[in-house]
Amino acid sequence: MIMTTSDKLLRPALVLLAGFTLLFAGCGKKDAAEAPAENKPNALDEAKAYYAANPDFFHFKTAQDIPADLNWEDGMELPDIGDPNAKKGGTVNYWVQDFPRTLRTIGPDSNGSFRPWILDDNYLRYAQRHPNVTSLTENGFHYFPGVADRWALDRENKTVYIHINPAARWSDGKPITTEDALFSFFLHRSTYIKAPWYNNYYSTKYSGITRFDEHTFALHFPELRPDIYSTSLENIPVPAHFYKELGEDYPERYQWRNVPTTGAYVVNDRDIDKGRSITLTRVKDWWAKDLKFYRYRFNPDRIRIMVIRDNAKAFEAFRKGDIDFFDMRLAEDWYDKLPDSAPEIANGYIQKLKFYNDIPRPTYGLWMNEATPLLSNRDIRVGVQHATNWDLVISKFSRGDWSRMETTADGYGDFTHPTLKARRYDIDKALASFAKAGFTKRGPDGILVNDQGQRLSIQLTTGYEHYKDLLTILQEEAIKAGLDLRIEVLDRTAAWKKTQEKKHEISFVAFNVGPELFPRYWETYHSKNAYDQAFLEDGSVNPARSPKPQTNNLQTIASIKLDEMIDAYDRSESLEEMKQLAYKMEEFLYEDASFSPGFVIPYMRHGAWRWLQVPADGNVKIATSFEEYHLFWIDEDLKKETLEARKSGKPLPPAIKVFEQYK
Amino acid sequence: MALNPLTLRKLRRFRSIKRGYWSFVVLIGLVVLSLLGELFVNNRPLLVSYEGKWYFPTYGANIPGTTFGFDYTYETNYRDLNERFRSENKGDWMLMPLVPFNPNENAPYEGVFKPAPPSWMGGPEGHWLGTDTTGRDIFARLFYGFRIAIFFSLAFMALTYLIGIGVGCLMGYYGGVFDLIVQRLIEIWSNIPFLYIVIILFSVIPSTFSIPARIAMLLVVMVLFSWTSMTYYMRTATYREKARDYTAAAVVLGAGPGRIIFHHILPNTISTIVTFMPFTVVSAITAITALDFLGFGLPPPTPSMGELLKQGTQTLTTAPWIVGSTFSALVFILVLITFIGEAVREAFDPKKFTTYQ
Repeated sequence: MIMTTSDKLLRPALVLLAGFTLLFAGCGKKDAAEAPAENKPNALDEAKAYYAANPDFFHFKTAQDIPADLNWEDGMELPDIGDPNAKKGGTVNYWVQDFPRTLRTIGPDSNGSFRPWILDDNYLRYAQRHPNVTSLTENGFHYFPGVADRWALDRENKTVYIHINPAARWSDGKPITTEDALFSFFLHRSTYIKAPWYNNYYSTKYSGITRFDEHTFALHFPELRPDIYSTSLENIPVPAHFYKELGEDYPERYQWRNVPTTGAYVVNDRDIDKGRSITLTRVKDWWAKDLKFYRYRFNPDRIRIMVIRDNAKAFEAFRKGDIDFFDMRLAEDWYDKLPDSAPEIANGYIQKLKFYNDIPRPTYGLWMNEATPLLSNRDIRVGVQHATNWDLVISKFSRGDWSRMETTADGYGDFTHPTLKARRYDIDKALASFAKAGFTKRGPDGILVNDQGQRLSIQLTTGYEHYKDLLTILQEEAIKAGLDLRIEVLDRTAAWKKTQEKKHEISFVAFNVGPELFPRYWETYHSKNAYDQAFLEDGSVNPARSPKPQTNNLQTIASIKLDEMIDAYDRSESLEEMKQLAYKMEEFLYEDASFSPGFVIPYMRHGAWRWLQVPADGNVKIATSFEEYHLFWIDEDLKKETLEARKSGKPLPPAIKVFEQYK
Repeated sequence: MALNPLTLRKLRRFRSIKRGYWSFVVLIGLVVLSLLGELFVNNRPLLVSYEGKWYFPTYGANIPGTTFGFDYTYETNYRDLNERFRSENKGDWMLMPLVPFNPNENAPYEGVFKPAPPSWMGGPEGHWLGTDTTGRDIFARLFYGFRIAIFFSLAFMALTYLIGIGVGCLMGYYGGVFDLIVQRLIEIWSNIPFLYIVIILFSVIPSTFSIPARIAMLLVVMVLFSWTSMTYYMRTATYREKARDYTAAAVVLGAGPGRIIFHHILPNTISTIVTFMPFTVVSAITAITALDFLGFGLPPPTPSMGELLKQGTQTLTTAPWIVGSTFSALVFILVLITFIGEAVREAFDPKKFTTYQ
């Protein structure tokens, strides 16, 4: 569904249904981990040498050097998360499409659909954004403690001080210390991990780290951005003692090793059934189990994740009760396969849960490439916008469940433009706009032609095979406005490659966006990401420019005016100023008309067996998946009751719940 | 054209095999019918009588709504027009085809895009086999899907045989080093996994082309990887024929290689080829269906049986009519062609006419 290199480690990732990845699970490859340990230099020593070699970045001071006037925060005033009625224990059964290719959390192949279970949703960061309190403070979001128990911001020195909770333990029992915080920088900047994105992020986002004592350290930044807390507090320590064999062979050596975690669940070696299933076990006496914000979460003792290769098959497994919950985002599953009248639903064995969340929305829409002959003409782009019948798609294809996306950045709260509305389907306006571009007559097939006899035919590329029907609806409607959209459904990777290389005319694609404080514009709209040198020194268009491949400026937008706004936005240290700039940029982009905003899916919906209970308010406001915050629990009594009722056919009260508080 | 009496006997023999012969008649009938498909399965009427004037919208340019007094300039929605004719009752009328649907026409069912059951199962009127996931008529899609598949496979057969026979005969005729080298080349070539190549090529080809052009490209790619198997049969057959006296006689008379191969040897080896033909068509239909099923075949919204099968497997419990009718249609066509193939093989079997002593 989603294609972007967002720093998933630092932000809760959307688990993708995606992944057509073929993998050779269970193919008896000799595990590097089982190889006898050679007598090689200890990576911890190497890390020490590295710190010493980079004194500009790694600073060592003593506890006396911690400024006394810091204003420490601990987030303890924030409301708790989860339901006090949650029961501990039991086993939850779930599924993934592919067996994980590795248990590493960093490096090649680690960014798969299984990783959230061991890292993104499980791992405690220093502190985490509160998922229900979404108002903004002068320092950005509200944070609740995780591995850290308090933190402080020194605005003047662009520094965040972090104090690690002395009770914090790795899942193997070792204490978490500032050594692990320092080592995180060594690891993520190391070339051993074969992850250039991290190498770059950890080298450019931060300007240094200072260790004061066993539990206190500080992160230094080159600039004071309003999201400074997310780049500092949402960082993670890594278990230095675990990585002592780190070296060139890291990807193979650590392929199937279980990384000690700060979180509630670990994978034990005996619970890995390669190619079939993998089971998470709750850490015995987990250090955070009684802490506020964690005591009602991570409830089941075990989470068993089976591999089922096909979505339709998994659905049947869910119906049988082999899987405890299922993502029913498809209208077909929700309305046709398990309608409210289905016996399992009407008899209350399966609950239907629809939860409206409030998060930045993936940008489903038509991305028009301004570097192509037809679409370089704004009149044609405007025409295409009016010829695209998203409202029909929303009302008839999604059955009215989705809503229209209005800007390029919906769901950012105050940062989303309050009044801007996307252009609606209007055949007359489309025809008028196409006419301005010279396309005045209809040809024999009803498609507009210009005086040179050129047809108004534009290619629409996508990698989303499951949205093919949606595109044929758009296509049929566009013909009425005299526009021929030629649909091209490619393999996901091929479509993305084509789009990133700016070989597309129109691409139907969406960027995944994490729950960030404010939208990003540089990646998608700066001229630096459109052309190598878009403009000459004097500000005129560089005649020799050609689109720059491998960037996310999919519209090939290049405007000096827009660049100036983006640069100001990225430099700004004031949220209010950034907000005003964001509005201006949205207005600019509306005028430019090269992105036709598509739809927003404003909810998640799931089926869950009766014994899998969720909190009274459903989930948290910024949840992107059922399991993300681990709020659910198993009620063994209900399980017994439900299974018996199912056997005897006894009806129970149906449970169809809609949570609309964040609608 | 004077046919060889032997061939005439073979054809008579073919006719006498009733199952194969009637399958052949039905298939030819279907092919001819599909050629005139627009007259039978279409959402454009055959004839419109409007304000005393006659229109024949089936073939040719589309007629904008304004012609019939609508306020839009895109193609007339004839179903609306028919409704209007009926309610106005001014003597205007139209004659709709037997199946009044276009294979690409999305139509909501009960207000949303979802499959509608066949009319005899209580679905909307006129959809004999129901509709697919965006409300397109399954009969229309099967009908046009069949037309594309059958002509695709006929073209596929013709091209593979052309290349296969040409190369095979040359190998057999010249033999020696030429034969050796070409054999090795073919071995290498045929070791390239065909399906992967098609998938890879089709996912990266910049398709600024129209749908017919893309179908042609798929055809070319499939032919490029399929002609090799034919060469082996032709090579051996040519080797055998080359050793016979009549070939030697032709050589002595001064005939060139081209004449010898195509005028003397080829007619005598043709019976081998003919028996393969129906099965090649079967495999081509299967291949294009499989590719569509995998999503690497014809671009949407081209009607295709593979695409319908795929939809069908995903909606097995909610819309069994999709997979049901597609599967039946596919089996029907493949069985027809297989029957023909068996009959041809039997009729052309040399053992029927020759006795070795």
